[in-house]
Amino acid sequence: MDIGAIWSTIILNPMINSLMWIYSGLAQNFGLAIIVFTILVRLITYPLTASQIKSTKSMQEMQKSKKWQDIQKKHKGDREKLAKEQMDLYKEMGVSPFGSCLPTVIQFPVIIGLYQAIIRALAVTPIQLLELTRHIYPFYNAAALIPLNNYFLWLDLSLPEKDYGIAIAGFTIPILAVLVMATTFLQSRLMTPPSTTGDQGANMGRMMNLYMPLFMGYLAYSFPSGLALYFVTSNLVGILQYGIMGKLDWRNLLPERFSSGSKTSK
Amino acid sequence: MKHKHYLFILVFIGIAVTLSACAGGVTTATSWPGLTVDDQYAYVAYNTQVYAVDLINGSERWRYPAEPDNKITFYADPSLSQDGQLIVGGYDYALYSLNAETGTQNWVFSDAENRYIASSLIQEENIFAPAADENLYSLDLNGRLQWTFSSEGESWAQPIIDDNCKCLFLPTMDHTVYAIDPQNGTQKWRSPKLGGAIVGTPAYNKDGVLYVGTFGGKLFALKAEDGSIIWEFSTADDGWIWSGPTLSNGVAYFGDLDGYFYAVDADNGSQIWQLPPEQLDGEIVGSPLVIEDSIYITTEAGILFKLDTAGRIQWSQTIGGKIYTSPKAANDLILVTPIQIDELLVAVNQDGVRQWSFIPAE
Repeated sequence: MDIGAIWSTIILNPMINSLMWIYSGLAQNFGLAIIVFTILVRLITYPLTASQIKSTKSMQEMQKSKKWQDIQKKHKGDREKLAKEQMDLYKEMGVSPFGSCLPTVIQFPVIIGLYQAIIRALAVTPIQLLELTRHIYPFYNAAALIPLNNYFLWLDLSLPEKDYGIAIAGFTIPILAVLVMATTFLQSRLMTPPSTTGDQGANMGRMMNLYMPLFMGYLAYSFPSGLALYFVTSNLVGILQYGIMGKLDWRNLLPERFSSGSKTSK
Repeated sequence: MKHKHYLFILVFIGIAVTLSACAGGVTTATSWPGLTVDDQYAYVAYNTQVYAVDLINGSERWRYPAEPDNKITFYADPSLSQDGQLIVGGYDYALYSLNAETGTQNWVFSDAENRYIASSLIQEENIFAPAADENLYSLDLNGRLQWTFSSEGESWAQPIIDDNCKCLFLPTMDHTVYAIDPQNGTQKWRSPKLGGAIVGTPAYNKDGVLYVGTFGGKLFALKAEDGSIIWEFSTADDGWIWSGPTLSNGVAYFGDLDGYFYAVDADNGSQIWQLPPEQLDGEIVGSPLVIEDSIYITTEAGILFKLDTAGRIQWSQTIGGKIYTSPKAANDLILVTPIQIDELLVAVNQDGVRQWSFIPAE
């Protein structure tokens, strides 16, 4: 079995069929199917999200510790030595340096799979439709569902917003892209853990907060709107999950000069 | 710090480019070739160009456009008019009229709001062009719009016309067939829901029966006068029927996506014989070509089969690649258009011996 077949069996086929099954039960509305499916995916991957938050918190606490600060000062000019000492401290405090990013890495195939599943399920060309027939499980009547209704609100879920959106003077107003950018920004700001000014992690976080919404907005504008709907839903569910866990910090939305110095995580 | 900004931007651009590649660029083929023939040339529409190929030796006569434009792609079977126009729909939502002799552009009709996946039907002075925007456009031979008929589903199949009742039959993906007055585009009837999308052109016999294959794994015979169901035939494993059947001597021949091939009595829908997938090796997407007592079918495995009307395989010829387009007859040749190999058009004689092949020059 080649890698493509394994990917299809484990990731793609279950996703496509789940989406279509949900679609059949939701008045054949693919927009609602994407929303419900995204919520289910976020719930299923919740243990990964929780583990990521826990690891990030442990890492933050360790970086605030006196030992960590001492190591930074002591080996400021010797990167090799600094790295070795940091690794020793990770071991000593039982913190995995990859603990916070591993869950994200594991979620990446889910995002790619969902992206492929949405594109394939909507099948707008003969090759795509023929390809879709190979992914369908036999235990439900998929023929009755095809073609899927790809309209939701003002969206054509199979096309990028730039191809059909409301245009003024030849420029398409990127409503969905703006929503994606706004929710990505909100999510990244609200979920950013408190940090000490000047530390490397905080700098990285600030750059992510700056570029990630723009990047996601670009994807939302250029790729089929079904994917953008997934982004918006996923961001909102993510914020909600963090809120339920008591991890949101609304003061992060304020400019840093107003919020620094008094941040505490709930 | 400044370098890190650049690094972030580069990483994001890298991811965007990778995702774009996963989605498939505009030049990635999204369908299989369209093929039409007259007594001199084969016209192949595939990806960014339309080619006219000499039937004598497979040489290229012309191509349109001369230089490929990634924003314009063609996959529908081109249609020939009696006044020498080649009508071909594009994925850029435009319908093109080309001079069939020279390949120069006559006119472009740009009212559609989605792709032309289906082939247009040309009847005397009229062009009937179904688009994936759920509209059927009727044009005159100068490309002027006469009327528009709006259905409730995309149409991926060429409509057919019955001269006697002056009915235009439009199969759609909303699981129904529409009968339309070709003079003014008004609806005469709409068939009941047939349990699955219809993406193949129906067959029609002069006794007023329409034969329609569906994704629901059924072949239906419909009354042409009102669209009511006369009989239905189910495929072996509810295999989806992509293309419409071919009628010959009271028998409907067709294949399904499970790789079965059927001969069904057109009068009553009873099965005369079937060939199982083990004998044909691959999905059957295109309609069969029937010439007298010979049936030519292509399979996804890139093989051209010749059967007799009793369902016995006479020969098979491996063309290569994958074949989804229906084979076409031209003079004494059988033409097939594989994809995923260099050859875009392959001609064999009726004994299955390859005569020539056409590979578009870079």
